[in-house]
Amino acid sequence: MDFHSALGLALPLGVGIAAIGSGIGLGMIGNGALQAMGRQPEAIAKLQTAMIIIGAFAEALTIYAFVTVFLLMGKI
Amino acid sequence: MGYEFLARIRRTSLMATAMGALFAAVYASYATGIAFAAGALWSLANLSLLETIVRSVTGGAHEQRRAWLAAAANLALLVAGGFLLVKLRVLPLAAGFTLPFAVIFLKSASRVLLGSKAWAAITRSPWRATALVAALAAVAYFAIVPLTRAQSGHAAPAAEHAAPAGEHAAEGAEPKKSQEFPDLVTLALEANHENPLVQQLLAVPGAESMTPEQHAEAVEKKLQGVSSIAFSLLVALLLCLVAWKAAQDKSAVPGKFRNTVEALVEPVYNQIVDILGPKYGPRYVPFLGSLFVYILFMNLFGVLPFMKSPTANLNVTVALAITVFVYVQYTAISELGFLGWLDHMAGTPRSPVEWGLVPLAFPIHLIGELAKPVSLSCRLFGNIFGEDMLLVGFAGLGVTLMKTLGLGVLPFGVPFQFVFLFLALLTSFVQALVFSMLSTIYFLLMLPHDHDHGHDQAHGGEAHHPAH
Repeated sequence: MDFHSALGLALPLGVGIAAIGSGIGLGMIGNGALQAMGRQPEAIAKLQTAMIIIGAFAEALTIYAFVTVFLLMGKI
Repeated sequence: MGYEFLARIRRTSLMATAMGALFAAVYASYATGIAFAAGALWSLANLSLLETIVRSVTGGAHEQRRAWLAAAANLALLVAGGFLLVKLRVLPLAAGFTLPFAVIFLKSASRVLLGSKAWAAITRSPWRATALVAALAAVAYFAIVPLTRAQSGHAAPAAEHAAPAGEHAAEGAEPKKSQEFPDLVTLALEANHENPLVQQLLAVPGAESMTPEQHAEAVEKKLQGVSSIAFSLLVALLLCLVAWKAAQDKSAVPGKFRNTVEALVEPVYNQIVDILGPKYGPRYVPFLGSLFVYILFMNLFGVLPFMKSPTANLNVTVALAITVFVYVQYTAISELGFLGWLDHMAGTPRSPVEWGLVPLAFPIHLIGELAKPVSLSCRLFGNIFGEDMLLVGFAGLGVTLMKTLGLGVLPFGVPFQFVFLFLALLTSFVQALVFSMLSTIYFLLMLPHDHDHGHDQAHGGEAHHPAH
């Protein structure tokens, strides 16, 4: 397997695998947020803000893999 | 005049040294920058010791011992100076040495100038002052620019303008490796690439040793960088104008414009003060609030036609992240003290077990601190650049579809990317919010907190012991 094939295989695979972890994490964040919102409807605004912020963290990890694709895209 | 004048000289000299050393390190070489900084710092230390000697000699009998100590220190400094002369480059060292004297001269001269009648005459009317500044700028331009041009060898006949900024429109999106939307600055620079000023701007170091494709690629990269910087400055300028205009409204009941601006500022203020508390909140609101608004508008700029988000360039986001990092560390050291900062980095050890774990905790905390600007910058860059790429991809798809349908003569494609523009709006807002909230939380972690916190559990445990 030469360099180009290996890179062309690894980059999208990397994004996909990173997305698995992010997906699970975001699901758990949503779960916790919705449960808390159900228990305390008057805190919905605060919970929404916190949920979005934490969601951005979880998503960032996949974005790192995404960025790596664009950085190495020229070398395929 | 007096001792505070000397203190101001010291402060100005330190700032000028930092800037001069940075410029020298970037534009000349690291050795030049280090030599310059060393020369200036040596000169400042020398002057401080001399001041101490003079003050203690003229101060009275109880101060004489300090004079001896300062004299001994000055002797050591002279020896160190000799060592520096041998080890470092002499010319920048000498230049750094004369820096504090230049500062003293300029400050005294400006003091005299500001008190003089001529200055009062010039500044009586703002127009006269503006005319003077414009005249000075014109003199500087016509004096210095031909000098630099002669240096870099662009002796070509001046100002050979190419065809004026063309109507390059949609076909300007030539894909080399990575496609981009054309934006105003890129279009203007590409249309004028015969202009020697533009060529100087886009000059790439080491251009002779590159193949034509490498050179074209390097120039392309530099063009992207230049347009990112231009747009970031443009956004900053627009925000300054808006803020200035809103601050002009001084009536008790705010007008429409000021009301709108306040409607944006107030939630940001409340959010930051909520997190940082009433003591530290208002102090850091200008920085953090400006960060939020600046990043938000930089992100949103990319949605406008023929504009580009500066934050889609890694250099811009890294610059923002480094600014936050430096400010947080400076705040930590100035609030906690240097020893307190070290204590914080070591995990605030209180019990023997925790003291034993310090060699482990310190590197971990250090790496954690260094990871913060990395993650901040990469998150913002990845999100905004990814959005850009998404829009470009779908727009390209639309253009291809238009051509396939035989309607290629139309100057636009099927607007597939329209839906993703809304996603871009949401992402811009969320990423600006996340960046500024994270920065706020980094400040919160570094500031002394007098409420219960995770690593204060030892304190909490001891407090529960029965009082004797």
